[in-house]
Amino acid sequence: MSFIEIRQLTKQFRQAVKEPGLAGAVKHLFSQKYVDKTAVAGINLDIEEGETVAYVGPNGAGKSTTIKMLTGILVPSSGTISVGGIDPYRNRMENARTIGAVFGQRTQLWWDIPISETFSLLKDIYEIPEPLYKRNLEQFIELLGMKDFLHLTARRLSLGQRMRADLAAALLHNPRTVYLDEPTIGLDIAVKQRIREFIRASNQERGTTVMLTTHDLGDIEDLCSRLVIIDQGSLIYDGTLAAVKDRFARERVIHFQLEKADLPALREALDRMPKVTAEKLERQHVSLRFDRFHITASEVASAVMRCGEVIDFRIDEPGIEHVIKQVYEGRISLDEQHADKQTAAGTEANRR
Amino acid sequence: MSILRSTRRTLFLYRRLFSTQLKAILEYQTDFFIMIISAVLTQLLGIVFLWVVYNRIPDINGWTFWEVVFMYAMIYLTEGFGALFFEGTWRLGGLVNRGELDVMLLRPVSPILQVLANGIGMNGIGNIVIGFIMIGQALTKVDLHWSFGKLVIAILLIITAVAIRVSINLAANTSAFWIKNAGNAFPIMIHNLGEFAKYPITIFSMGIQLLVAVLVPFAFVSFFPAYYLFDKSTSPWIWLAPPVAAIYCGAVAYLLFRIGLRKYESAGN
Amino acid sequence: MNAWLRLSRSWRAYSSLATRSMQNTLAYRLSYVVNFASSFVLLIAMYALWNAIYAGREELAGMSWAQMKTYLIISFISNSLLSYYSETRISGKILDGSVSADLLKPLDFQKARLAETLGSTVIEGGLTVIITATVLAAASGIFKPDFIHSLLFILSVLASLLVKFGIVYIAGLLCFWSTGSLGIVWARMAVTSLFSGALVPLSFFPSWLEKLSLVLPFQGIVHTPASIYLEEVNVWGALGLLALQCAWVCVLWLCGKLMWSWAVRQITIHGG
Repeated sequence: MSFIEIRQLTKQFRQAVKEPGLAGAVKHLFSQKYVDKTAVAGINLDIEEGETVAYVGPNGAGKSTTIKMLTGILVPSSGTISVGGIDPYRNRMENARTIGAVFGQRTQLWWDIPISETFSLLKDIYEIPEPLYKRNLEQFIELLGMKDFLHLTARRLSLGQRMRADLAAALLHNPRTVYLDEPTIGLDIAVKQRIREFIRASNQERGTTVMLTTHDLGDIEDLCSRLVIIDQGSLIYDGTLAAVKDRFARERVIHFQLEKADLPALREALDRMPKVTAEKLERQHVSLRFDRFHITASEVASAVMRCGEVIDFRIDEPGIEHVIKQVYEGRISLDEQHADKQTAAGTEANRR
Repeated sequence: MSILRSTRRTLFLYRRLFSTQLKAILEYQTDFFIMIISAVLTQLLGIVFLWVVYNRIPDINGWTFWEVVFMYAMIYLTEGFGALFFEGTWRLGGLVNRGELDVMLLRPVSPILQVLANGIGMNGIGNIVIGFIMIGQALTKVDLHWSFGKLVIAILLIITAVAIRVSINLAANTSAFWIKNAGNAFPIMIHNLGEFAKYPITIFSMGIQLLVAVLVPFAFVSFFPAYYLFDKSTSPWIWLAPPVAAIYCGAVAYLLFRIGLRKYESAGN
Repeated sequence: MNAWLRLSRSWRAYSSLATRSMQNTLAYRLSYVVNFASSFVLLIAMYALWNAIYAGREELAGMSWAQMKTYLIISFISNSLLSYYSETRISGKILDGSVSADLLKPLDFQKARLAETLGSTVIEGGLTVIITATVLAAASGIFKPDFIHSLLFILSVLASLLVKFGIVYIAGLLCFWSTGSLGIVWARMAVTSLFSGALVPLSFFPSWLEKLSLVLPFQGIVHTPASIYLEEVNVWGALGLLALQCAWVCVLWLCGKLMWSWAVRQITIHGG
């Protein structure tokens, strides 16, 4: 049995349907209409202890609902969840001792007392032994750079500071599992880096299982080895990040800065190269998009260099962002069969 | 966990959470003076009203001025204790509507304890002080036969009165689980039923008497203690009624909270 | 031409505020019913209390039981036109800071709050009045005034609404200086209850207290409309009382305006 085991997890909500405006409000006084909405539709998922899983999907896909059920604060309509052998809903308090959570928009810090007091309170709530508490606190203050605002109340913190404090609060008691729901939303890049390093350290040093939902694909690249994509309540992909990138993030764009390009010659060369599209074709700037399974970067570069003197160039590697975007737009499907076919075609092209 | 250990931990956590609230509210100096003054003002003006009325009549239904003042004071005193130590009940609505209850559910601490310890109403100090003064006055001004037993029971009755008040508050505020909007006035309406218990309930119709004695037992906060203390009762065992009522109210409040919580957990927010 | 355009545009802005407030009030229908039940509870308590007080007595302080019954119901109507919910909305805006967003809007804060209050009063107060008026008409032993007095009474009730708004608005603004709104609201309610005559007719007061109450604006909320209804004053007297009410409305409005501009200066200097 895996550490986190989810079987046929389903959640449905009833929503009231109301017409807009004053007339609608009056009508609603007398007769209410409801509609059933399925947020999570029978998902199956296994997570081993110590994994870092990115749980991704468009807004309204069911991410937050799943996390709420995993943490025990929402009861499933059907299906089972087991986290470390515990049913998080039925044994909520027992489960609570072993988890930490950060919900992006909401804070678990007490609003009107200094952060340091919050930590002290959490020590009593989670019954953290004094030496462990001291050690963790010192380490967290250092790693997250919290010394400057330890004495401030949560109310007075900026978003970045609050997020760091929330993260520290979530991990203070060395939970086995930590759930992070949009932890870097709205933060600047410096803070995001710190937070990612902190989470990574926790996962590597303590073996904390991390489940991360995020729209920030930089988070995923930095932290997660595994990617699970949910859309409209169902899982549409579950596998390693590397596999996804290998199969689908195959496009590259090279931007060339040229002295003076011989454009007709270049166009001719492009016609002969498989699956290369020109994004920009000017005398001094050329940008070419190609599929690296069909043609190598050196082949593309050589072709361009033959048509003019290259002053500078750079290669854009579209991150997982590009893939996810295409998945959301329905342009690629991430099931196994289809992927294999594409890989086969790719290796064919490489041999040529 | 053994009962003793869990009780100690509960009290310890309550103390910690309560002192957190205390520290938080000490940030806002002006706030609590005004609240204390307003509580004092409200109670005193209520007694002024009584005095104005009693200026023209000697008694209401056989109850004299100080006897009714006692009942008034018990209502306000218990409100004060509820406000000072258990103000959290009134914040349940906010917790539910803003989803802040989720954060509490993530912690390994009983949600009821967290809810109860979630606030302080400094106005409670005003109500407690004036309440005790008025009760003291009433008990001395009225001609009573005092005994040691009666004193002990009087203290017990004050404790049970607070327990009843807090239970009713909690039960009424669990309506937040069903009435999901910011302007939920149901707990306030229940609170206002205490208005009836400021006066001897014998002046009301049977329906109201049943309401205030059985359904929302405010009568056990003020009337029945008064009934016993002022020797108006025929039965010497009447003093047992408020403690029984306290247990009943506590159980109902607990049940309602658990049912409401289950609903919250199935519908999310 | 320009002035008319501006006037009609701002009128539309305020009236849409009022309409939205009406919608909101309807959306919280359960809350409204509960609010109503809540004040009804107080009415019943008072009714039973006074019934017991009047037991075996013909009249007290110049009022018979029939007059007292009527008085209680009038007091109830006058008081429930502006509910607790409307009141806490004003102080709530100041406390949660959304007032700073309002400063950016081209609306007069006071007029906007009045528009919102009138909006919800139409619903809350409207229903209250219909229900209690029906009860009044059907019940026996209730005093019914003549036509002129009824008319003046209705005008007086409208004026009392504005008086209550004036008081509630100022109390709400006091939240700028203290951070505990509920305390101010409760204090206001206690003071208003006593001095408006809601708890007990002013004639019951010892004369020094009665004189004090007549000088304050609170009497315009209950005492004035009730006196007119119960024909305790003749037509000229009623008109005089109405004039006094209107004078208070103006004074309170101006005070509110002054306090508001003072408060705004505080915010813009010290930053929320």
